[in-house]
Formats: sequence, structure tokens, C-alpha cells
Amino acid sequence: MNYRDTTCPYCGVGCGVTAQVNGAQVIAVSGDSKHPANAGRLCVKGTALAETLGSGSRLLHPRLSGKKISWDASLSLVAEKLRQTRELHGPDSIGFYLSGQLLTEDYYVANKLMKGFLGSANVDTNSRLCMSSAVAGYKRAFGEDIVPVSYEDLEHCDLLVMVGSNAAWTHPVIYQRIVAAKKANPDKRVVVIDTRSTATCDVADLHLQLNPGSDAFLFGGLLNHLALEGFTDHDYIEHHTSGFEASLAASKQLDVTQVCAATGLDSQSLARFYDWFAQTKRTVTLYSQGVNQSASGTDQCNAIINCHLATGRLGQPGMGPFSITGQPNAMGGREVGGLANQLAAHMDFATEDVDRVRRFWNAKDMAHSPGLKAVDLFQAAAEGKIRFLWIMATNPAVSLPDSDTVRKALQRCDFVVVSDCTADTDTAALADLLLPAQGWGEKDGTVTNSERVISRQRQLVPPLGEARPDWWIITQVAHRLGLKSAFDFQQPADIFREHAALSGFENNGTRAFDIGGLQFLDNEGFEAMAPVRWPVTAGVRTEPLTDGRCFTPDKRARFIAVKPTLPQAAGLVLNTGRLRDQWHTMTRTGLVPRLAQHRDFFTLSLNPAEARSRGLQDGDLVRVSNKGGQVVGLLSFDDGLPRGQCFAPIHWSHQYTARGTVSELIAAITDPVSGQPQSKFANVTLQPVAVSCWGYIFSRHPLDLEGIDYWSRIPVKGGHVTLIAAAAQPSAVALRLQDSVQLSHGGRASYVDAQSGNIREICYSEGHIDQALFLAPDRNQLPQQQWISSLGKVDPDTPHALLSGLDPGGEQIGRLVCSCLEVGESQIARSIAAGADNLEALGQALQCGTQCGSCIPELKTLLNKHFSSRAA
Amino acid sequence: MASKLLIIGAGMATACLLQSLSGRDHNLVITVIGDERDCCYNRVMLSSVLAGEETPENLDMLGAACAKEAKFLAGTRASHIDLEKKQVLCDGGTTVAFDQLVIATGSQVARPPLDCSGIEGIREFRSLQDTRDFQAMAAKNKHAVVVGGGLLGLEAAHGLNKQGFVTTVLHRNTHLMNRQLDVEGGKQLQRTLERGGLSFRLGTSVASVQSARGHITGLELQSGEALPCDLLVLATGILPNTQLAAGAGLASDRGIVVDNRMRTEVADVYAIGECSQIDQQCFGLVAPIREQAAVLAREILRQRGEPFQQQEWPTQLKISGIDIYSAGELDDSAEQIFLRDPGAAIYRRLVIRDNRLIGAALVGDKNGGTWYAELIQNKQDIADLRSGLMFGRNVAQAMANAAQKAA
Repeated sequence: MNYRDTTCPYCGVGCGVTAQVNGAQVIAVSGDSKHPANAGRLCVKGTALAETLGSGSRLLHPRLSGKKISWDASLSLVAEKLRQTRELHGPDSIGFYLSGQLLTEDYYVANKLMKGFLGSANVDTNSRLCMSSAVAGYKRAFGEDIVPVSYEDLEHCDLLVMVGSNAAWTHPVIYQRIVAAKKANPDKRVVVIDTRSTATCDVADLHLQLNPGSDAFLFGGLLNHLALEGFTDHDYIEHHTSGFEASLAASKQLDVTQVCAATGLDSQSLARFYDWFAQTKRTVTLYSQGVNQSASGTDQCNAIINCHLATGRLGQPGMGPFSITGQPNAMGGREVGGLANQLAAHMDFATEDVDRVRRFWNAKDMAHSPGLKAVDLFQAAAEGKIRFLWIMATNPAVSLPDSDTVRKALQRCDFVVVSDCTADTDTAALADLLLPAQGWGEKDGTVTNSERVISRQRQLVPPLGEARPDWWIITQVAHRLGLKSAFDFQQPADIFREHAALSGFENNGTRAFDIGGLQFLDNEGFEAMAPVRWPVTAGVRTEPLTDGRCFTPDKRARFIAVKPTLPQAAGLVLNTGRLRDQWHTMTRTGLVPRLAQHRDFFTLSLNPAEARSRGLQDGDLVRVSNKGGQVVGLLSFDDGLPRGQCFAPIHWSHQYTARGTVSELIAAITDPVSGQPQSKFANVTLQPVAVSCWGYIFSRHPLDLEGIDYWSRIPVKGGHVTLIAAAAQPSAVALRLQDSVQLSHGGRASYVDAQSGNIREICYSEGHIDQALFLAPDRNQLPQQQWISSLGKVDPDTPHALLSGLDPGGEQIGRLVCSCLEVGESQIARSIAAGADNLEALGQALQCGTQCGSCIPELKTLLNKHFSSRAA
Repeated sequence: MASKLLIIGAGMATACLLQSLSGRDHNLVITVIGDERDCCYNRVMLSSVLAGEETPENLDMLGAACAKEAKFLAGTRASHIDLEKKQVLCDGGTTVAFDQLVIATGSQVARPPLDCSGIEGIREFRSLQDTRDFQAMAAKNKHAVVVGGGLLGLEAAHGLNKQGFVTTVLHRNTHLMNRQLDVEGGKQLQRTLERGGLSFRLGTSVASVQSARGHITGLELQSGEALPCDLLVLATGILPNTQLAAGAGLASDRGIVVDNRMRTEVADVYAIGECSQIDQQCFGLVAPIREQAAVLAREILRQRGEPFQQQEWPTQLKISGIDIYSAGELDDSAEQIFLRDPGAAIYRRLVIRDNRLIGAALVGDKNGGTWYAELIQNKQDIADLRSGLMFGRNVAQAMANAAQKAA
């Protein structure tokens, strides 16, 4: 047994994780108490990391058109296709699509190969979807992509403004730090600016529930207010910035009336926020996807930064504009230049930059101009312009907007390579060649989190099957292209040293991103490297922007004149986002039973009043569609949503539900500066879907349910539970399911009440249940979900007795609220009824909320609900 | 002054009656005349004794105390009832006087019309003596054929099979227990019994009997097939024993005609059990006879009480390890709920009309049987219980409660 420190592969917080390893198995993980990001904390997703490892869903061997081939043959094939495509159709007919899940070293070699040796800049990344507007905002303001804030600033500030961020769910550990800081300093104020009322509002002193896409009005109005009321920092503006007058002029007409009209806020709340901001020196504005994923995302970022520049609130402890990223290594990707509009090491395509990088790389075929950004890259593929596509560690068929076009692109493209650790993704299904990449726990290298801290992700266990590191795969292809000397890397440390050296190459303080101080790390030093915040230079370390000096030509920060615009709303507006316990397209978190319990099946949410006005009830089946496509989900009431808005979680792929690819509904509308899609806004219509048959299926393996109107699958111990809903009658559904039901060799017990439409079936073998099916015309005639979820553990004495669907015994725990300690709503309700009247008491009684704490908002809601209903 | 109660017959009906009278305050002097050596044993369990699963002692239906309350004339056949003199004449010349008389002469096998007089090895399976006889036979490699795939035939066949006979059941209908089960249930039962070693010939019957030296050696079936046969057991339904009563001038039809208080037309003369007939109904199951006994006991003691009521009497098969329960009518045109688990030899069917349970056929798992019989009898509305009905009372009620809570 040994303990190894590594970094969590989920969100951009980048928590340190200590893994307990026994031989080839990660037994358990816990928060690394030494890591600056989390100091020992972990959220429920991180806590469940050990449960995501295993061979079940892994891609274990290279596969060409579904058939296993050797590594040698597949690498030669990739090289040959690359060479051929490039020769026949030119460098810009090839494209790489990377991911914030890659390690910095993987990113570095992919970027180097494409931009230095294949002559194209068609390398983009899924980070385009989550924070490219933030990058563009920083670059416009500071001349470089610099996050001038740290997590400690979130604790030290007196006013924290959270914009478009449900950190309680998306960045739970940061949220916990904020909650703790607020508890320690009751004078600290938190303002949440979000069109939804989310779990994050639990910590808010003020929640501004503004209209979707109106953030720039709010912050433009704030700039105006600060100037009018004399709260601007004249010294700072004069010595360190440019463009103030123009940007103020652009905001001039944004008085209280205008802002209230655009944002839908009341003037009192608005005044309070403006007043707090004006009066509080130590203010951090933390913003995330709600700001970035907009057709005017970059402007929204700059509208925020403008306010910090106008008050001089940056570069000092406890203040600054803070973009928090979604992915574990989005920042690492930005640092190596993994976006199509960057070159490398925070250098762009200016002639002297291209020349510098060319000399450093000794590159023979440099890209000279930006390449295609994600949405354009796939659009070009759909049009036949991109003929070779290499996708690494991401699932664009689910995550990119206009996913229909993405699918077409993948079908049309001559050769599609997908390197991934997961075998069955919607993207992999459309690939020619699948290459098994190493996953978390197997691969080794570095990642950078949202506060610029570089941490080691370490190998914990030997790789499964024939999985290889992404950097190795890329360098092997480079070797086969005759590029041995430029890609002569034996290990991640070799790549990291070169990356560090490039950052310091002819830098002399001209680029903030400088980790030249790390270029001489030996292998042992790399192995042991503790988390370190850049810059890391040989000389004195200066935190960027602390001296007011920026990286623009005139070294001044730029105000940007923002002309706010509202997205064109017509009818119902779709908003999208994450759930607390899921990650991306669920290729990993989707494997863990307890992570599927907080929110189980694919749902679409509406405000209850909105739903009732449409004659809909909680749990009804609904279809949300527009000309891009459709999704079908269970309606879920959410008081936190404004009327006129529908919320859909982004995680569902065709692996987990019938029609849940929300990105189908997202038009390929992008921010003109950053190219980031407007993923949080789409005009849609919503209709009920008549259901004649509801059903639960427990199965050992996922089933083919094509043709069933709605199904949604979650993992449970020992198998899967699928909820289905269909327009057809139960008997017809049963007939359809006959085809996909895998007959077990054992017994088959059935129950048929044809007149009432109750059809049940259990297939069993010696000592266990292989499959169970329950169909009924009414959902509440189905067995308890908790019971059906337990069938994987049941050793049936009398299998036919199970056809009743009734739990023979055991306390019902209800819907899971605390995933860490598996405490359910019914248990909590009983405990509250028995006298537990506060969080501490509940924690003592049931332990709920005492581990990761991300269920605390929900526990509070349950407590409030109980006591308010008693009062009423 | 003591009153003389005479009971003719020492079968299960008599046992039930004695049980009903036992412990009550009465001044009866009870005499029981039985033509078998054994009295008041549980005939239903004979096949278990034959199968070696039960001992004959365990069949005794009367405890020592109860048995002491009557005088038993075992091995005695009543030959004539003299209603005038209020006495019964027995073989051997004994006469027994009575003030009240109960006729409980039971039934006999309804023999098929077969020409087999003088051939040995053709038997019924009705008594403990039959059981002893079969047990005394060397069964190994011998062929037993049971005619009749109803309740009695299957029980006999099971016992013979366990005893070591190579056993085949002949049945005229195309599925077993056709009076109680539907085709699928009958087939399921057949598969289960086949697994236990029985063979079946369905949809056929005996055409002729072969014999050698006065003992049966084989059968020819209507189907043309020839079967070896060393023991032929007839279980082709029962006929009430009415001769004695008829000889005394008591009204008899298929059985001895009594009213719903077990009274014949003659005062103080009653009939009970398989020999009796109420309205058009004769009896072959224990449950109604137990009811009759309770009614008759009150009648004898001149006590008030409810008369006997006709109802749907459920049928159970007594073969160890094989649960069969059947009640009500299996109407194919009504609503049906099926539960099947062929691998576990289970088939259950419930029949519902107008939200009332009207029939149940349970093979392999008779859980809930008694409750179903009640529901059928009471015509209770089962709409709320429907989703759990198949799984017995507790589950059905729990599910109904859960549904109510959810709604």
C-alpha cells in the first residue's frame, strides 16, 4: 500500500488528491491537505474517483473500423493519412480537436506538431466552449491571457460578486472555501448574479436574477454609476489604462431605468449592488460559463474588467476580475497555445512571435496565421474542407453546438481518429480509427488550475490494455512523419522542460507566462514537483499586474467600449448547465452509482407556474425542440428558474438517454471575438409527449432501446437502471423490448395483467438477477426506484415473488441527497421530524453534509420546508 | 337420560363430526360403526404414507380424549337400517339401537366400464388397507398405471412412484386436473410431475386389460398403444355410497338427499360427507364436509346456528413439494392476470370480472390461495388490491397502502 499525490481530473479548481494505491488498484482517494487549492477538501465527484477506474467502459486496443489492429499499424496509418491529406489538399485540410482533459505535455506536442511541422493552426480545443471569451477578455484588457486573482483572494475580499456561476455545484470546493470565509467574516458580502436561483444563492446576501444575456447592461451601468458617483480611481486610470473615456461614453445611456429595463431587475436591488460595489475596495468578481457562453461573452468579460480597472481594483490582495475555468487543464492548454488563435506559450501570430517560436522549435513548416476555431473547424469538415480530423479526449458529437452538423462533419470527413480512454462515446461511434489513451491515474504530467497553479498529475497504476499516453501517441506519429529529432521525447519531463524553456525564451519580462525557472528541473525534480504558481523565473518573481504594468504595447490596461446587446428571445428560452454530481458527457461519472443519485434521469426544468400555465405537471414527459433538433426529458419543477426559461443539463449523450443531446438545440452562434458558442441561450418550444407506458428496467448491461420515445439510464450496484416512457401501450413496448432483452440462461419469471397494462419480467440465473422489467401505464404503479436499483445485489430465493416490485423489507431512504454518505431525503425528513432542527443536528444524526458539504444547500431547503410548512 | 347417537361410517366426515361434538356439554352415548379396520384417519394423506413421507399414526384425526367419547365397532359393516325400530343391523347379526342416526358411508370409485372380472391387480386407492397392500408389493421394475388424472389419481400415482413402481397416469382429458386447472396450468403440473418421474398418457383411456394366470399383465389403450401393467389403480371419480340409505327408504339421488341442516326427511336421521347431497351438490373435498359437521353437531345438540351454505370450495392437491390450489371459475372471457416462471415450475392465474376476483388457479406456489377463496366467496371489490393481488394478502395490502400514500 502506498500513497501518491496527484490532481483531480474534473473541474478547473484543480484540487490535490492523495490516492491510496494497492498494487495495480486505487483503493481510495482523499483531498491532499498540502495542496493550495483545496487543503484536504474534495467534492463528491472527486471523492468517487476510485470508483471510475476499471476496465468496464475503457477502450483497451486500437480499433480500425471496429476491428482490433496493432499500435504499429495504427500509428503508421495515422502518419500516412496525415501526409497524404496534407499533400493532396494542403495543410489546412487537417485539424486537431483537443481537450481540457489533456495534460500540458500532451497539449504541447500536439500543438507543436500542428503549428510547427504541419504548417496549419487548425488546432482547437473544447476549452473553446467554456472559457475562450474569458481568454479574449483578458487579452483585450491586459494584452495577455492573465488571471490576476487567486483563490485566497476569494477569501480575503469583502465583496464577492459571482456572475453566471453556480459554484456550489460546478466548483464545490471553491464554494466551500467561500462559505467558510463568510462564516469567519460575517461582514463579507456575496452577490450572486444569475438568471437562475441556484444552490449558490444559499451563500448570497443579494441575488440579482437578471434576464439572460443582460450582464453587459448591468456592468456597463455599473461603470456609468461609478463614474457619475465619483468612485473611480483617477490615478489608476490615468497611469495604467487607456480607453476609459470611450468605454464610459459607450455606457453613458445606461442609467438605472435603462439597466432595469434590460436586466429585468428592480431599481432597489440594482442600487444596492451598485452601492456595495462602489463602497467596497476589496472586491472580487468571479465569473464563469454564464458570462462566457454567450454571443457577446467577450464583451461581458470586458464589461466586468472595465469596472475593476475604473476602480483600480486588481493586482492587490482580495480584488480583481476572476474567470474560473470549467476543466482541469483548460489553463494548461491556454499556456501551450492549444487554441487555434494562439501560437504557443502565450505568443500569437505576430511575425516576431512566429519567428521566435520557429527558431526555438527549429521548425520547418510554421503556421503563420490563426486556424479554425472549434465551431468553424467542424463546419469546415461538414463542408468537406477538413479531410483529416484527430480528436483527443473529448466528445464533440455531444458537446459542440449544432451537434447535427458535428455528426455530419464526422461522417463526411475522410479520416477521423479519436484518441480516448472511453470506448463507447457518441463521437467514437463515428470514428474510423480509435486509439486507446491512458486515463486519469495512468497518465503522468502536469495541469494548471484556474489560479495559475501548476500541479502534477501522477501515474498511480499501470495502464489497462494497450492504453498509451497521448504525448507518446502524437510523438510516435511525428516520428513516422520523419520528425524524430523535433519529437525526441522519452517522458513527460522532457516535454515539460522544453515547454518551460519556450516560455522563458527571449522573454525578458515581455510575457507574463514565464516558467523558464523550471526548465532545468531534472527527472527527480519533475517527479517530486510541488504545486507552483506561475510565473516561475530564474530571477525575482513578480506577480503579474501588481505593479499596474500590462502586456499591451503601451503597457497600459485597456478599457473596452462595450455596446451591450440582448440575445433575440422568442418564446421559451433554453438555458444549459451542469449538475452537481456529473461531469461533461458522463463518460466517467456516469459509471458511478452514487453520482447518479442526486439527479438521476434526464430532466428538463421549468418554473412550476410556467409549467402549470402550460397544463403540465412535475414528471410529465416533454419535448423541447427547435430547428436544430430536439430533446425529450422528464419535466422537473424548479422554483429557481424564472418563467419563460427552460433549463437542461448538458451531460446527456446517446449512451445515457434517448434524446438528450442538448447541444443539438444550440445554434452555431458564436462570440465574434472569441468564437465561443452561445451555449446558454436558445429559442425553443416545449410540448408534452403523451405517455401510455412507463417502465423500469434493471439490466446487467446497457440495452439497445432505439425506438423507445424516452429512456434514461443510470448505473447502480451490479448493473444499470433505465427508466422508459413511451407513447405506445405497454404490450407493444414489451414486444419491442423482446428484441433487446438478453435472454439469460437461467429462469424467466413473468407477470402479465394485460387489461391494466402491467407487465413485469425477471430473468435470473443461479444466485442473481440478470434483468428485470416493469411496465405500467402510470409511473406511480412502478416499483420504488430504490428497490429496482438494489436488484443487482439481490440473491433471489423466489424470483417470481420479486415481480410484485415491493421491497420486502428495509427502511426506505428516499432520493439520495448526500451522495458521500448515502443519506436520502426520507431519512432526513424522519430525522427532522424527530427533532433535528439544524444542520449540525442532522449531521450528528445521519452524517449527511459532513463530508464534501455540497448537499448543505439542499439540507437547508429541507429544513426550511419542514419548518415553514409547520408554521403555515 | 342419555341419548344414543349412532354414526355409520368411520371416515373423515365422522371424524369431523366427533371433533365438533367433542368438549361440548352433552349426554350422548356415541357409537361408530366402521367397515374398515382403521377409523377416522385422514384419507387425504394416504398418498404421503404410500410415498413414505408420513407414518399411518400421523393420520389419526382424533386425539385419545376425543376417541374415548365414542364406542367404535371397527371392521363392522352395517347391512340394514330399521327406521321403525330405530336400530341398525350389522353383518354378523349385531344390532345397534339409536335415538339419532348419522349416515356417513362415504363414496366409492366410479369404475370405468371394463371387462376385468376375476383379474387380480386392479385396485382402488381409498383406504389405509389399500396403502398397506401396495406397500407390501415388490414394486421394483413393476409397472403401475393409474387411471384418472384428477386429484386422487395424481396423489395415488405420486405415492406409487415413490414406492418404486414405474408409474404411468392415464387421463381421458388432454390436460391434468381439467376440472380445476386450465390447459397451461395442467401442462405445468404435468412437467413438474414428469420431472419427478411420472409418465402420462393423455386424451386416451383403457381399451382392454391383458392378464396371465389371473393377474393383470398389461393394457391396451384407446390410442392403440400397449402398456405393461402389474398394478392398475382406478381413480376415475367417485360415487356416493347410497345403498344402505336407499335400502331403508331414504330419498337418494346421486347422494343421500338432505337439507342444509343435514337432515333427511326422517326425523333424527342425518347424512353427512361424500355420501350426502344438498340441493344438486355432492361433496369430495374436506372443507365443506368440515362445515357440514359443524352444522350437524349443532343440529344433534338442538342448538341454534347458521345452516350449511354452498360456496366455491377451493381445491388443493396433496403432493409433497407440489403446490396446487384452484378456486372459482377460470372464465377465459373475463380479465386475466398471469404469473409464470416455468423454470421454477410456477404458473398462477387470477380471473377478474367487474373488479371482483372470480377464479384462481395456482400451480407451484399456492401462496394467497385461502385469501383468494375468501375474496371469491365475499365478492370483494379488488380494484385497489389489483396490482399486488397476485402476491398474496400482505403484499397486496402493502402495495395498496403505498399507492394510496403516493396519491
